[in-house]
Amino acid sequence: MRHESPPVLVCWLLESVVPARYREAMLGDLIEEYNLRAESASPPIAARWIWSQACRSVASIAWSWLRSGNWLISMSIAAGVYIVVGTLKLAVDLSISRLVAPQQATQVVLAPVVFLSAAAIGGCVAARVRRGAMIFLALMVMITVAVAIERKVCTIPVPWWYEFGFLTLGPLAVLITPALIGLRVPGAAHPGK
Amino acid sequence: MIVRREIEKRTGRSISIGAAYATLERLEAKGYVSSFTGEPTAERGGRAKRLFRIEAAGKRALQVSEQTIRSMTGLRSRWENL
Repeated sequence: MRHESPPVLVCWLLESVVPARYREAMLGDLIEEYNLRAESASPPIAARWIWSQACRSVASIAWSWLRSGNWLISMSIAAGVYIVVGTLKLAVDLSISRLVAPQQATQVVLAPVVFLSAAAIGGCVAARVRRGAMIFLALMVMITVAVAIERKVCTIPVPWWYEFGFLTLGPLAVLITPALIGLRVPGAAHPGK
Repeated sequence: MIVRREIEKRTGRSISIGAAYATLERLEAKGYVSSFTGEPTAERGGRAKRLFRIEAAGKRALQVSEQTIRSMTGLRSRWENL
């Protein structure tokens, strides 16, 4: 029997969302049935089936998670990380604007570097404590940037893509950095438990 | 996978694998079922299978549910015969 590889994006999505307790088993079940369907029908039909399963599973897991009340703990951790890292970022921003680079052009260049670094650090801290907190932190970052853009907090004239970069890359830095640096998320080491 | 397929076969409804696992997790937390990890296989991309077993408390809860359904069905028959 030839084994087809399921779509990478589906695996990534489920690995990010499914609780560690049954992540391995659930992904294994999906891969096994995907292979059976790819062999008996065709790989595109199997791909359509696995996508439908993934989307419906994410909705079921999200609903189950909301019912369990675990989201309150995750949100509290995310809020704590947001406050600590946000305060540190603010301190660095102030230092840069007063001491290092009073010129506008330098601030425009340094602001995304500081912002993305803070988002990445925050993402790593949140992911280390609790996986769900990382998702809440990404949402908080996105809402903060959206509010800042809407209220025109940035007084320096910048192109639209500059602000759009903050809106998209900030939450992405929170979500992707822990995976990029291979950070061990709690519970991931013992998937069977 | 077998649990999900069995539910689909018996109810005639398609259910997601996530819904099946979320429900089994709740049943395990209540002590109605227990689970253990099987051996990883190549067909599963090197991932282990999770096997479930119904516990005594689960069997009792199932009997209570069956009795409730039976008594409700009996009630409906009595209403229909009135």
